[in-house]
Amino acid sequence: MENLLWANSRWGSKLLAMAIACLAAVWVAVPFLWAIDNSLKTHADIFKPGAIIPFLQFTPTLDAWRDVIGDPQALNCLFSSALVGVGTTLLVLLIGTPAAYSLARFEFKMKSKDITLWFLSQRVLPPVVVLTPFYILLAEFGLIDTWIGLILLYSTFNLAFCVVIMRDIFRDVSKEVEEAARIEGASLWQIFWMIALPLSLDGLIVTAFIVFAFCWNEALFASAITSQHAATMPAFILASRSTRGVDFNFAAVNTILAIAPPVILSFFVQRYLARGLSFGAVKG
Amino acid sequence: MAIVELSKVTKRYGDVLAVQDFNLTTAEGEFVVLVGPSGCGKTTTMRMIAGLETVTGGEIKIGGKNVVGMIPRERDVAMVFQNYALFPHMNVFGNMSFGLRLRKFPKERVAERVHSAAKILGIEHLLERKPKELSGGERQRVALGRAIVREPKVFLMDEPLSNIDAKLRVEMRAEIIKLQRRLGVTTFYVTHDQVEALSMGDRIVVMSKGFVQQVGTPKDLYNAPINRYVAGFIGSPSMNFLRGQIGADGTVSAGENFRLLLAKDRAAAATKKGIKDVWVGVRPEHLVIERNPESATKNVIKGTVEVVEPQGATSILQINIGEDKKIIAQINEQWGRVAGENLTLTVASELIHLFDPDTDESIR
Repeated sequence: MENLLWANSRWGSKLLAMAIACLAAVWVAVPFLWAIDNSLKTHADIFKPGAIIPFLQFTPTLDAWRDVIGDPQALNCLFSSALVGVGTTLLVLLIGTPAAYSLARFEFKMKSKDITLWFLSQRVLPPVVVLTPFYILLAEFGLIDTWIGLILLYSTFNLAFCVVIMRDIFRDVSKEVEEAARIEGASLWQIFWMIALPLSLDGLIVTAFIVFAFCWNEALFASAITSQHAATMPAFILASRSTRGVDFNFAAVNTILAIAPPVILSFFVQRYLARGLSFGAVKG
Repeated sequence: MAIVELSKVTKRYGDVLAVQDFNLTTAEGEFVVLVGPSGCGKTTTMRMIAGLETVTGGEIKIGGKNVVGMIPRERDVAMVFQNYALFPHMNVFGNMSFGLRLRKFPKERVAERVHSAAKILGIEHLLERKPKELSGGERQRVALGRAIVREPKVFLMDEPLSNIDAKLRVEMRAEIIKLQRRLGVTTFYVTHDQVEALSMGDRIVVMSKGFVQQVGTPKDLYNAPINRYVAGFIGSPSMNFLRGQIGADGTVSAGENFRLLLAKDRAAAATKKGIKDVWVGVRPEHLVIERNPESATKNVIKGTVEVVEPQGATSILQINIGEDKKIIAQINEQWGRVAGENLTLTVASELIHLFDPDTDESIR
């Protein structure tokens, strides 16, 4: 369809479309290029005017990269981010998908719609409001600056999201197909595992990706409740102000390290993203 | 193979009545067709037998065992759904073997049964394919295959042919009948198509608004419909109904152009019940053209042809018999009748149906 539109439009509008696309590309790409550029500079080059193009205007160096990668704290933070992200995602899916399935399929005394609204309301609340209570709660349980503390915290936020999205995805699974499985002799649990879940795999992968990305990017809670042991990458970046102010070359390296994993991951889930993100708008 | 007994089976959704007092006992290996318009409760009845729907009242027995309250697995029934309901993420083999695998059958026996079922249905070459790579007819065969591999006590088929094109449907009809005869499994078949019902069923249950109207063989339903509803539902084109009066001379008339001679016992039955005003029912295909219109006076319908619909082998005529009354006749002539022509029709006395206008029940 798009191709047809493209072929039939006049060169003037083609030119305009190209211009807009280029502008958008520049808009998106410049910050990344800036980060890559700065990560190759020395402290001295960073504030030197006119040092923009590597090799021509300054001599690129991998010193900043060497320093960051050699710094156990940075690697530790990367590991924390990954662990907390994966841990939260697994926990949320483990609890959230069965909950979503029951909301999609079973009748409750309270209307399923009302329960869903309650789940959603948890998501509308500005997170900063609950920062202090959560801090006190975690402190009581001795979970400050621990991976488990962060995982539990992130799970509470993401569970609502997972339940609401997965409920809609499960609703799109044909009821007759599930009934056929029941007639064939499957229990409710077997229907969930062998029919509903495999048929909702696209949505599940997208949900997992979004939950993971949320955890990976979250900075507010991470910097509030972690300091050394469980600090994640965003917390590390926020804290990477030294006595000399911000070390932009280090910050650039950290930024790239923080951006890379979700971007790489998104290449793998891309084929699910387009379908999954429409969230059941079109019946598959 | 099993006898299925339904006694006083009732289903309500809140205040809405879906099925009321459904009674039926099948023979072993019988092919029972449930037929009726949409919303008549036929599918609900089938779903209650399957265990997908709870019963509000009554009893369902399969092979002498009351299955009310049992989950589908314990009932040992297989169902074919209207839109096939194949598992999209499994290939044909996976679909057909699903029930056996759940029952922990040994691998070799699963393969053996699936292959022999696939052979019967002619889908051996499709076993590795996914449902989306199959045509409608092939999917239907796979759905049938999934039902037969488990060798269940009862087959349930919910309008299995309504999603395939007309030509294939006729083929599949014959194939399902052959398959059912061969396996000898008691079968319930739901359809809204009375032609399908007549051509497939050993016995037919006609339903309307949650009530069973009549249970009988195709011949019973066609020749001796119990009420006006069944009479109008079975047969195509539908039976003609006219309000008429029974005369002292044993005729029934509806206007001056419609005067038919009744069979003696039929006239006597009406007299016995003291009914003078009746609904007269005549099937379009039972009307024939009177060759000597001048001499016939007692058993004739006179009218003007308004519309001619040639069907190839036969023609369907819309005939105006005056006083705003119209009848449909299906005559054994291919072409030749034209609109505006005056015609005299007649019908054999034993093919005239009478119905009580108060109860709509057949007078016999």
